[in-house]
Amino acid sequence: MAKKNSDQMFAQLLRNDSVGKPDRTIEDRLMYSYILKSGRSKVRQNSFASFFGWIFSGQGLGLKIATISLVVFFSVINTQNFFESGKISASDSIYSQRTLVADSAHFIQLVDSLRVDSLN
Amino acid sequence: MQQIAIGNQPAFAELYQRYKDRMFYYFYRMLGNSSEQASDFLQELFMKLIEKPESYNPKYPFQTWFYSIANNMCKNEYRRREIRQEYSSILPLEPQLDFIDEKSIEPEQIIEKIFDTLDELGTEHRSAFLLRYREGFSIKDVAEILGLPEGTVKSRLFYAKKTLAEKLSYLKDEIEF
Repeated sequence: MAKKNSDQMFAQLLRNDSVGKPDRTIEDRLMYSYILKSGRSKVRQNSFASFFGWIFSGQGLGLKIATISLVVFFSVINTQNFFESGKISASDSIYSQRTLVADSAHFIQLVDSLRVDSLN
Repeated sequence: MQQIAIGNQPAFAELYQRYKDRMFYYFYRMLGNSSEQASDFLQELFMKLIEKPESYNPKYPFQTWFYSIANNMCKNEYRRREIRQEYSSILPLEPQLDFIDEKSIEPEQIIEKIFDTLDELGTEHRSAFLLRYREGFSIKDVAEILGLPEGTVKSRLFYAKKTLAEKLSYLKDEIEF
């Protein structure tokens, strides 16, 4: 009778060995935990928490510095362009600013006087 | 794993179905043939997967990584038991097969004898033996899972087989060791 190889015998014995199956409730508990975990991660994906976390962290420091530099640069350029040609910015006694306020009563009176004038 | 990380529930269910029995068997045999403890460890293993799916590196085979986590859990448990000095109390019953009539040997009895012998040898031999012969991993994969050189795995398997050959002497006529 041909002898069996010990490797084959051990493999065959162990693969045919059965110790039962895990409890079904484990699967239910794991599925529940998985749903909870994926639900939490989806809420986190929709929030700004990770974005603010990134802003105040040390990650992507070069990118942050470049962005801030650009913002500062353009704001400086904009302030230098803030003047209107022909407008005298210095104070002058000849020039007096008059504030015109719409007065409805005065306007009605003016219209009435015009009407009287036209009747005469 | 990528699907599991983004919350794909069917992918997780599929993974659980694929590995639950294998992992249950591994924990059962590694932790002193206790169904309750094997169930607890199975649950803990998958909880680790749920809590930190990002810890898996896709460059490596999933199976090897998963078994290495399971093996580390067993090692931690052995340490806990050593601290509690309870190790001797959870060892299986004393082997009684030496007195079995050769004609009446059943595969279940041989299995029991194998695991009794592996318990005597130690957990390192048992894990290498299980991974090689039950799970069918290559020597390289077993070495990776256990974090050992291939030579060490080979020598452990050789020593385990040598000891088993002595213990299973009544099978010598049928098996070539």
